Amino acid sequence: MRVHRARIAEHKHDQLLREYLKQNLHELIQQKELVIDGKVKTSITTLDLPTLRYGEEERFLAQGAGQAQGSGGQGGEEVYAVVGLLGGDHHGKELRVELDFEEFVRLAQEVLLEELQLPVLHHVRRGGEVETEDLLELDDLDRWGLAADLNLEETMVTSLLRNIRERGVAEYDVDLRLDGWYFVEDPTVDRNHRSLEIYVLDISGSMRGDYLALVRKMIFLLWYALERRYPTNLRRYVVFQDVAEEKTRDEFFSVESSGGTHISAGLEKAMELLEGVSEYDKYLFLFTDGETSSGDFELAKRRFEEALERFDVVSYGHVNPGGRGIGGFSEHVQELSRRRPNLSFVNLVDLDSIRQALREFIPYLSGEGGTATCGSTRRSSRGWRRSPGTWA
Amino acid sequence: MREYETIIARVEALARDLGLSFDPVVFRLTDSEEIAEVASMGLPNRFVHWYWGGAYKEIHAQQSKAVFSILELVLNTRPSYAFLRRTNTHLQNLCVIAHVYGHADFFANNHWFRKSNKDILNLAEQHARTFRSFEEKYGRETVERLLDACLTVATSVNAFERDPARRARRVIYHLEARAPLQDYERYILEAVRQEAEYFDLIQRTHIINEGWATFVELELLRELVSARQWAEVSSSICSRPTTYMIGYTLFQHIRRTWGWQKALEVRRFYEDVRLIDEMLTQELVHRLDLFVYDPRDRTKNTDVGAVKEMLIQQKLYKGDPPIEVEDPTGPRDLTLVHAEEGKKLDPKRIALYLRSVYSLWRNPVRLRANGKVYTYDRRGLSTS
Repeated sequence: MRVHRARIAEHKHDQLLREYLKQNLHELIQQKELVIDGKVKTSITTLDLPTLRYGEEERFLAQGAGQAQGSGGQGGEEVYAVVGLLGGDHHGKELRVELDFEEFVRLAQEVLLEELQLPVLHHVRRGGEVETEDLLELDDLDRWGLAADLNLEETMVTSLLRNIRERGVAEYDVDLRLDGWYFVEDPTVDRNHRSLEIYVLDISGSMRGDYLALVRKMIFLLWYALERRYPTNLRRYVVFQDVAEEKTRDEFFSVESSGGTHISAGLEKAMELLEGVSEYDKYLFLFTDGETSSGDFELAKRRFEEALERFDVVSYGHVNPGGRGIGGFSEHVQELSRRRPNLSFVNLVDLDSIRQALREFIPYLSGEGGTATCGSTRRSSRGWRRSPGTWA
Repeated sequence: MREYETIIARVEALARDLGLSFDPVVFRLTDSEEIAEVASMGLPNRFVHWYWGGAYKEIHAQQSKAVFSILELVLNTRPSYAFLRRTNTHLQNLCVIAHVYGHADFFANNHWFRKSNKDILNLAEQHARTFRSFEEKYGRETVERLLDACLTVATSVNAFERDPARRARRVIYHLEARAPLQDYERYILEAVRQEAEYFDLIQRTHIINEGWATFVELELLRELVSARQWAEVSSSICSRPTTYMIGYTLFQHIRRTWGWQKALEVRRFYEDVRLIDEMLTQELVHRLDLFVYDPRDRTKNTDVGAVKEMLIQQKLYKGDPPIEVEDPTGPRDLTLVHAEEGKKLDPKRIALYLRSVYSLWRNPVRLRANGKVYTYDRRGLSTS
């Protein structure tokens, strides 16, 4: 196959970009509008050749919108910088880096997992959103799947190799937890998603900066973990302040934080989304700093009870980047989590607490024994409740 | 390709009737992918550098948007190579073919362009291969770092300047002549400078070249297409990049005012700076809706003098701040001066830039700018 030098250059550029993301993820991830038109846009000076430039405030050559292109109306004047005065090669031109959101999430996940020293599992060729128009290969294999989808040949080969490695004997002594390979269905053909994940995010005035960064990192990592376990999952997004609203994924990552904290509104909206849902597992992820607006506390408590009934797993992330004490609604939920098996409470203070949370929730990410808990029906007050038959 | 052969022959004959002359043009049908590959590097076979990778991504993303996509690509070689995009409509490719003959005529006749290296493909290939052998010998990282520094100073080339004393005022020539470089390092700096000069010429004739090609394109198409198609083409002209429109409008103005012969003469003897300086009028500035915008007080200056100055400045220093080398006081002295004292340089870039220059000069480098003197030496950046 012909590989043009420009593609090799592209690969080099990618490597630098990854390096840059590693160093700047924390700042990047808290950009108020992380996603614009499905892209993550950012100006990266270190990924530009460091030629000298004027400060931003200098005069430049510009052009009006003109009649043909339709001016903005409202009497506001439109000014477009005249670019491309030079033509020829692009050298010396400032490059704005635009990443597909999927690509950004993938890179961010790599960076975060490395930072958390969690194992990077094999690559799933999809980004954050699983509902896709692209047809996936039907013969995709995964280490997790339904018992009926077991790929015996692949499992036997894996088993043989493991037995030789571990015991020095060439036997097909299958241990499903260690050797199992499963066919993964094509989600566009089989609309029976295994799970529904609803993300509910508090966007009241206090949720910005470090708060936002922490939540976004947590969500990226949740995606990473869930995507590998439930390749056919469905995701929906709710934001709330005084009122709640369902958002698209991109809108979810470009929210303006303002207003009060009506947790009840967020929970109500999340439960509305359960109408007519037949998925096996219904997950609710709620992220808030727990500072309810006055008068909402009792109502939120009631709604939370209802949510615990209607969702299989409720995960409550107390967003607390300063590491202060836990009060308000969060205190109530923490207390509740000791008694309710399908509720988990996470005090999100820093990356370390994300690691803790993930290790507890998602055993195979702990790197200890990989799929060791696969197949068990263990119900832990701190773990995921698994619906029987969901996976082997 | 066959479907275009008769039309290519017709366009060529019409172009000769108009008084144009050119080297043979070889057309190739290709896809957006290849156009993005070639356009990002400027040439099909340049040495590999991450910077082209960024450009590639940008162009590749743009290719999917109809308005800004590159429809055509032509190389200034002998013969000229032109690429037709397979996904273009028939009419679009007809425009491209006519446009390409405008470029080919410009390549062959323009006084400045005739001096350009028509063998650039071989030169670029030779550079690329030699760089690769250097990577094996001296290590990839060493060569990559060196390339970063060389490309950073390469925007200071001036392909038009023949006077050695004035050339030496530009950073890259000064470094090439005096920096304590090893042979392979000097080869790389020289190679980067040669390629940069090739592109400098293209950049300094961009407005006139594109303007002329667009002008010729429309002249030829008028003869070739139906009234309906003509309406389609001429109305789509406005959505071309501003640079094309500036050049095109100037040639239209020249032909209307002084006739066709004058237009031919301008395309032969002018480059962008002279074209703008002599031909841009207040009326044309208004018609093109051009102005100098000051973001500090949000004012527009539509004065032809101000617009001219801005355009010409872009051409002389590629939009970079004008930096010159001060007369050295000793063999190890290198002091750079920002000529426009009133304007502020972005301080974040100064350290990175000076570090690049220092990595080649290997002795303290000073920069007079922003009312200060910045010094970069082995301890890093300091200000006084």
